[in-house]
Amino acid sequence: MPTDGIPIDVLIGAWVATGLTLFIYTFLYRDNPLFKLGEHLYVGISVGYSIVITIYAVGVKLLWVPMTEEGQWQLLIPSLLGLMISARFFPRIAWLSRISFAFVVGFGSGTIIPRLISSNVLSQLEDTIRPLATMTASGLTYTINFLDPKSDINNLITLIGVLSVLFYFFFSVEHRGAGQAVARTGIVFLMIAFGAAFGYTVMSRMSLLIGRFDDLIIFSGAEYGRPTFVLLVLTIGVLVYWAYREKQTPQTTAEEKS
Amino acid sequence: MNLSNHSIVTRMLAIDRRFIFMLIALATLIPLLNPINLPIMISPEVRAVYDHMESLPEGSVFLLSMDFDPASKPEVYPQAIALLRHAFKKNLKVIGLTLLVTGTGMAEEAMATVAEELEKINGTDYAFLGWRPGASAVILSMGQDLVGTFPQDHYGIPIDELSVMHNVKTLRDVDYAVSLAAGFPGVDEWYIYGKDKYRFELGGGSTAVMAPGLYPRLRAGQINGLIGGLRGAAEYEKLLDQSGKATAGMDSQSATHFVIIVLVIICNVFYVISRRQKRT
Amino acid sequence: MIFLKRQLPLVVTFCMGVVFAMQYYVPHPTSEALLKNASNWIIIIGGFALILGLVSLIQLHMHRIQRNVGGWGYSAVLFAAMFAMVIAGILAGGKNLDSERALTGYGWAYSYAMVPLQGTMFSLLAFFVASAAYRAFRARTKEAALLLIAALLVMWGRVPLGEYLWAFSGDIAQWILNVINSSVRRAILIGVSLGVIALSIKIIFGIERMYLGGKKE
Repeated sequence: MPTDGIPIDVLIGAWVATGLTLFIYTFLYRDNPLFKLGEHLYVGISVGYSIVITIYAVGVKLLWVPMTEEGQWQLLIPSLLGLMISARFFPRIAWLSRISFAFVVGFGSGTIIPRLISSNVLSQLEDTIRPLATMTASGLTYTINFLDPKSDINNLITLIGVLSVLFYFFFSVEHRGAGQAVARTGIVFLMIAFGAAFGYTVMSRMSLLIGRFDDLIIFSGAEYGRPTFVLLVLTIGVLVYWAYREKQTPQTTAEEKS
Repeated sequence: MNLSNHSIVTRMLAIDRRFIFMLIALATLIPLLNPINLPIMISPEVRAVYDHMESLPEGSVFLLSMDFDPASKPEVYPQAIALLRHAFKKNLKVIGLTLLVTGTGMAEEAMATVAEELEKINGTDYAFLGWRPGASAVILSMGQDLVGTFPQDHYGIPIDELSVMHNVKTLRDVDYAVSLAAGFPGVDEWYIYGKDKYRFELGGGSTAVMAPGLYPRLRAGQINGLIGGLRGAAEYEKLLDQSGKATAGMDSQSATHFVIIVLVIICNVFYVISRRQKRT
Repeated sequence: MIFLKRQLPLVVTFCMGVVFAMQYYVPHPTSEALLKNASNWIIIIGGFALILGLVSLIQLHMHRIQRNVGGWGYSAVLFAAMFAMVIAGILAGGKNLDSERALTGYGWAYSYAMVPLQGTMFSLLAFFVASAAYRAFRARTKEAALLLIAALLVMWGRVPLGEYLWAFSGDIAQWILNVINSSVRRAILIGVSLGVIALSIKIIFGIERMYLGGKKE
């Protein structure tokens, strides 16, 4: 039984969190009512949570307080533009939403152009076109240190990689002859990078699993009343019963039909 | 004989996926229950974030944007905890916020938990600004006028009344910012809309899925360091000499990776055998 | 009226686009103030955008309940959870923690229901990634073999056990990420950015109008 040390809200929380975690994991068997229940609860709670945060962050702090306490009534204009987005649901005035979208998309398009040119094109190109050899007091040197990302050899590999991958995605020129060799080099680079991305995806997913299992281990403690074990047995029981019912249902229907 | 070999290979290639599920579950569970604490090597990108934090003088302004939600909590939350511990131990002025609405609660919890642990006071040592919609527009707006973007903190206290915020008017007044990202908006947006114009030093933390995509920014010096996934968090915990959830998860991370490596090798061996059998 | 419906949005987009593209190069206080006010307005409009998603969600699930579609009970659960959360949130003033740093009812539901649910939902992917790796990760071609080897090396080299068994594996993984991966991601970043810039220019000049929610006119 749970000890006195744990507050009741934490204790109930442990049971709820464990139960909901197990409900979602039942999907590993197959789609079932417990999973669906968890899934819909998740959507409902998330939306409810977001509504409240938005009301306070925007409605109260950015609109109500500045307007009523500081007289910033010009904020009615963005509020109106915001409300006009909802006109989309009323066919007769749906065109009003276009003005709001135009305002937002126009701002987004305008602000992004110079910033992308600076951050993602020029800065990245600048770092790609680096000296392929280093001039020192003793003359021209060439550093072959694979572990230093800024060594001359790595600068050369980076340059080849960037150019060949860009060429591979450039379809205006047919990939034949020398072009084919460059495109093939691009593919080699792409494959290795995709492999690394896969490795990191595995890493990421496993970390999420570790996090959830860690919680289940914590909640298996006697101080919480061992919800992990109790609810695991119950969940499996419900799942077995549901699977049994599922097996029976189609037969009954077939019998009824006959 | 050949036929039976063929059937074994076919069966192994079409093994029930629930068997694989079981293997992964065990590989995660067993090391969590029986940790062996294998040594964790420190990568240069994580060390760079740590070293920069170390180099900041007391009272410097550190902004932590916790742009993640519960979906990536196990990976990024330990990063937030480690960074906050470091910042509070260094007596930096800490400003926390989030650009993801569903991450607000976790960001609030992270700030409050570490502040309580290190006896820091809200308003004096740190401020939690909460969430604002608009992603990149929030960063732009903070760059122009931080107080206008967040006239009140998450708890409704006017920003002007928080002593920790007294000399922080725009992002230009921030000495070091770190975005802990799980997608959009995240490190990319903090660079494109923030650092590129307002010139504060920027570090990155992210889920492992996102980390490879941030290496071009790291190489170009657009971010000074990168904490990638749970592994990155474990490295930071080791640098801080304070083990946490990330360090505890590293043995399981090792085990699950090796299970997948073995599974991939086995499946390819069977695949090669089946191809040869088909040819003959 | 036709001007209001068709031309005005295009004029607004054009003006906003040109002004804010130019604003980047004009560090005059008026220009900076313009950016400050406009970005603040965008934040406020962003808050109202929630209504779009909310109404769509309500429409979908109300439809299910009204028509007694199979599984309508789950939609009722969704509404119950949503309204309970909104009420709890308003009672807590939108805060997870009270002044004593204890969880409010709203914070409790967040920590013990929302976080586990969302976290577990995404952790399911761990199982499916493993299953997919076994079923589909095969060296069918030389390129696929290259991808596979790179993946194995990175998986090996980025965990403590891998580095413990073969110390050099960490350096190999690091090199792949720092050099090969970095150059590929950079090329993709440059390519995608050029694409986004081109699209933005098309939007500003009214060539691309899909964002207005209709067919190309």
